[in-house]
Amino acid sequence: MEVKLQVENEILDKIKHTFHSAEVSIPRKQRVEVKLRNDLIHPFLAYLKDTLGFKHLSHISTVDWLEENEIELVYIVMNYDNLVEVIAKIRLDREKPEIPTLREFWPQIETYEREIHEMYGVNFLGHGNLTDFILEDWEGIPPMRRDFDTVKYAKETYFNRPGREDAQDVRTTITKKSGEEIPELAKVYSVRHLE
Amino acid sequence: MREKETTIYLGPQHPGITGNMMVKLKVTGDTIVSAETHVGYLHRAFEKLMEARTWLQCFPIVCRICVPEPDPNEENLSRVIEEIEGREVPERAKYIRVLVLELSRLATYLLWMGGQSGSMGLYTMPQWTVGDRDYILDLFEQLTGGRVYHMYIWPGGVRRDLPEGFGDKVLKVMDYLEKRLKDYDDLLFNNALFYKRAKGVGVIDKAKAQEWGVVGAPLRGCGIKHDVRIDEPYEVYDKLNFIVPTYEGGDVWARAMVRRQEFEQSISIVRQVIENMPGGDFYNKIPNPLNWRVPPGDAYVKTESARGEFGYYAVSDGSLKPRRVHARGPAYVHGVSLLERILQGANIADVSFIMNSLGTCPPEIER
Amino acid sequence: MAFDIKGILSPFKALNQMGKHPHTVKFPYEEKVTAPRYRGLHFNDLEECIGCGTCSTICQNKAIDMINIEGIDPSSGDTGLRPRVDNGRCCWCALCVEVCPTGSLSLTTDYIYVTEDADSFLWTPGVDNPEGKEKKSFVSDSEHSLLEYARVPMRELEGSERVKSFAEVVLGYSEEEARKEAERCIGCGICTDNCPVHMHIPEYINAIAHGNDEDAIRIIYDNNPLGETCGKVCTRRCEEICAISKRGEPVAIRWLKRYATERAANEEMVKEIVNPTILPPNGHSVGIIGAGPSGLTAAYYLAMRGFNVEIYESKAHAGGMIMYGIPKYRLPLDSIDKQIEYMESIGVKIHYNTMVGKDVTLEELHQKHEAVFVGIGFEKPYSIGLTNEEAEGSIQAVNFLRAINSDKHVEIGDKVVVIGGGNVAIDAARVSRRLGADVTILYRRRVQDMPADWEEIEGAEDEGVHIKPQAIPLELITNENGRVVAIKYANAEMVPDPKGGRPRPKIIEGDEHIIETTAVIGAIGQEADYSFISEKIKSQIEIKRGRIVVNESQQTGVEWLFAGGDIANNRADAISAIADGFRATKGIEKFILNKEN
Repeated sequence: MEVKLQVENEILDKIKHTFHSAEVSIPRKQRVEVKLRNDLIHPFLAYLKDTLGFKHLSHISTVDWLEENEIELVYIVMNYDNLVEVIAKIRLDREKPEIPTLREFWPQIETYEREIHEMYGVNFLGHGNLTDFILEDWEGIPPMRRDFDTVKYAKETYFNRPGREDAQDVRTTITKKSGEEIPELAKVYSVRHLE
Repeated sequence: MREKETTIYLGPQHPGITGNMMVKLKVTGDTIVSAETHVGYLHRAFEKLMEARTWLQCFPIVCRICVPEPDPNEENLSRVIEEIEGREVPERAKYIRVLVLELSRLATYLLWMGGQSGSMGLYTMPQWTVGDRDYILDLFEQLTGGRVYHMYIWPGGVRRDLPEGFGDKVLKVMDYLEKRLKDYDDLLFNNALFYKRAKGVGVIDKAKAQEWGVVGAPLRGCGIKHDVRIDEPYEVYDKLNFIVPTYEGGDVWARAMVRRQEFEQSISIVRQVIENMPGGDFYNKIPNPLNWRVPPGDAYVKTESARGEFGYYAVSDGSLKPRRVHARGPAYVHGVSLLERILQGANIADVSFIMNSLGTCPPEIER
Repeated sequence: MAFDIKGILSPFKALNQMGKHPHTVKFPYEEKVTAPRYRGLHFNDLEECIGCGTCSTICQNKAIDMINIEGIDPSSGDTGLRPRVDNGRCCWCALCVEVCPTGSLSLTTDYIYVTEDADSFLWTPGVDNPEGKEKKSFVSDSEHSLLEYARVPMRELEGSERVKSFAEVVLGYSEEEARKEAERCIGCGICTDNCPVHMHIPEYINAIAHGNDEDAIRIIYDNNPLGETCGKVCTRRCEEICAISKRGEPVAIRWLKRYATERAANEEMVKEIVNPTILPPNGHSVGIIGAGPSGLTAAYYLAMRGFNVEIYESKAHAGGMIMYGIPKYRLPLDSIDKQIEYMESIGVKIHYNTMVGKDVTLEELHQKHEAVFVGIGFEKPYSIGLTNEEAEGSIQAVNFLRAINSDKHVEIGDKVVVIGGGNVAIDAARVSRRLGADVTILYRRRVQDMPADWEEIEGAEDEGVHIKPQAIPLELITNENGRVVAIKYANAEMVPDPKGGRPRPKIIEGDEHIIETTAVIGAIGQEADYSFISEKIKSQIEIKRGRIVVNESQQTGVEWLFAGGDIANNRADAISAIADGFRATKGIEKFILNKEN
């Protein structure tokens, strides 16, 4: 196992050596995960791309950690020479998520940043073209944020086709028949309410 | 006479490709000065919807991310869950998955051949290939119960075992397709007009290809040999023999020839899979889906779809539902930033021709 | 391949396709025959379906409604609802089929849906396509179903280990086992209908599955203060109609309840976790006769509602039948103590060794309390009706169990015969095994006719109890000292009942046998002792077949007198007694507060 992860460990050492504050781990073969301070993402990706040869940007993803009041950006870059992928993660303040753009590194980042701006409200400083990408004239909280209520939005925006009002809830039907009174603390555990 | 710059809008009704998107072109005469893509006609908020559904309920959604090629999505979501969960997949299921993925690749290439020829006015090809694709859809129907959306690959393996005599039926279709490939050669790949039309069109700069995020056949059409099936072998691709063809040129022609060669390779892979299909279980059962919690964690997995690297990044917070599922389709890069770049200097008539050769798929861009 | 003459001529080869047979749809049109596994329109077997609604829950498109259908009425184990599919939303993923516990729902080979009304997409499978039964294609069988049909096995002591002591036989689920078992539940709630108390079963099981055992405890105590007892010895009618049991082993509802309640190791922990809201004293007082399950339950909830509650118990220990009737290897003393002490800690008062009718009269209780609840249980055994029944060595099972549970020595020797086929008979037999005796059970009918729980019968056999079915005892044989030394019985054959009931045993003439024995234990049933009720009151209440007739709030013909437990229901189990106690709480509260106004 040690031998197999040789390349990954070399990359890990190099990253650790250059960015002391980075938390680096190897989740599995061909993957190196790095958790970074926000201000380091720019130099870090520059280092990966120009020095370590991570030329291919696979993906930028965003995760909203509502409970922790943070928005996580996940950059996945790949080195075609040693076939290792680095997953770099930073966490932005959810109230005011801001980070300088990375447009100059990979041209296609423009699209990713436009989408993340639109869907999560992350401001990419210096991007210059954070216009609508998929949505049009969207107002209100960015829709991919966890506190955006899809069901509420759908109810306000669309209507139900009539004819299904006679639907019954199974658990309620049973309690009506038996006279069972479900206490409030128990109701949250009804798996019937998956949504 | 100086030519005036004009703006024309191509789309959004199916600009020669599957799905709705619009390309805003600034042209002088017949030549494109600049191109701007506009998407948003097919946004179904799938990633948002998945956060409100249990892991298993996401499967009927993900296959709709790309209509012509749903299986890599199922494969990716299954594999990303399995990686977070550490769930083992039986060997037989892995072989069946490869079978499905390669049949899906063949079906997609057949559809692409039709689209590529149709976008240059050669309408016989779509009639042939769409008809031949139906033989593969028949196989899917027998295997999965559905023709287009299979919902067949899922966590722990596949949904049903191979029906009796399925291998022979597959081999029969493979023999047929191999025979038909000669006809396609005659009509399309050896066609001098296609050569004339495709050579030097939609050129991707080899030096820039990697940085621009080009993947799949377009990358191999630049002479760069990368394929997820080789780079990061998943399922049983490391046990199968196949070559990854490359062509120089970076143009529509090179991409077409790469796909033409891969078509043959896929037929060969399907035959190897049928030949080596092991016995045993096809499914490592998940717990009751109403109570199925995936332990906290995240993972990024990728699959070589017919159009290139198809990746899924998923995060679980330990609850019944995913925290985040993000689908990275090849078309996201090919169909927007790359397309805008290589359309510069092209002819208006080549727009859908180039879009087809890049495998642009709007439902996958918007998800 | 280049722009050359060969490339120009190549496309013309396509001309050789002319005249070939087309592979498109034939003309005239032939309907396509779909694959045997095709996912087409739904079909539902209305007879098989139990209306659990799992299909509706799993549907990620919300395409399935559960609706009432004319001609299908709710019954035990069937909500009477049936699924209706909105074909405008359905995507034929067939997840609904994969999670259907009964296997009634399937997809068919049909794929054409034509209607004249463009707005009508609603489709009730089975009602709209009765012919679909012949066209089922994508079906749910146990092999492919996503539900788990096998129960997490309960670990038990080995039979040979068990007979050495009164140690608890069932070892209980570990945390991991409990989570896994709880995950099997689909949460339909059908089980709650059969539970006499209507406990919130899917909710507490789901709380366990979520890893939140404390919430599970709180949910259990919401309407059952003896959850731990039920977790060990409940007759679990809920499991009989569990949706999963249609094709597999029902969810181990009892063992999960046991797991949850045992997480609170002592009465302080129970109190801390349940943290009951106890209303301030309201100045009203209720007397309760008998500290059995029904009396304790009524006392617990009345005390929480601010009533002054006093229980009068004739014995030294509370619990009634669960204390004195159930052997300790099923329900250990520690567990009973924990539950009683918890109740006392929230304000339930128990007067021990106080026999109503002897130490205090019912009339006195009425003067002291505004309402009286009677839950005295069936303690007086039926006689077995054989000659020499009164002889030494002939014992009644309830007396025997009571003595053993009170830590008294009972001389049974080494060869015991038990008469009867109920749970009491099995208990007596298994207890006798633990005292070192060789045990034979004589039962009139066949083994499958025995009213005892199947598990109990198997447990007894594991422990080496011999069961002799179709054996009718004839007489007890005594020796010169008047002590029972043998029993004579006759083998019987089963003959159909002319009235259409279950087959009856008929003695085979001449097929008589004698078994030597050191003790005979009779266990053919018990009745109540109503001697403490005065004739005046007796004349106002109705007693039918040994049981007091009560209304839906457990009230007797005398408005201040309520009754519950074995004396008021014919189910003779703890959970029914608890249900009576729970209902009586509401009845008593209503009675007293109404009187006040």
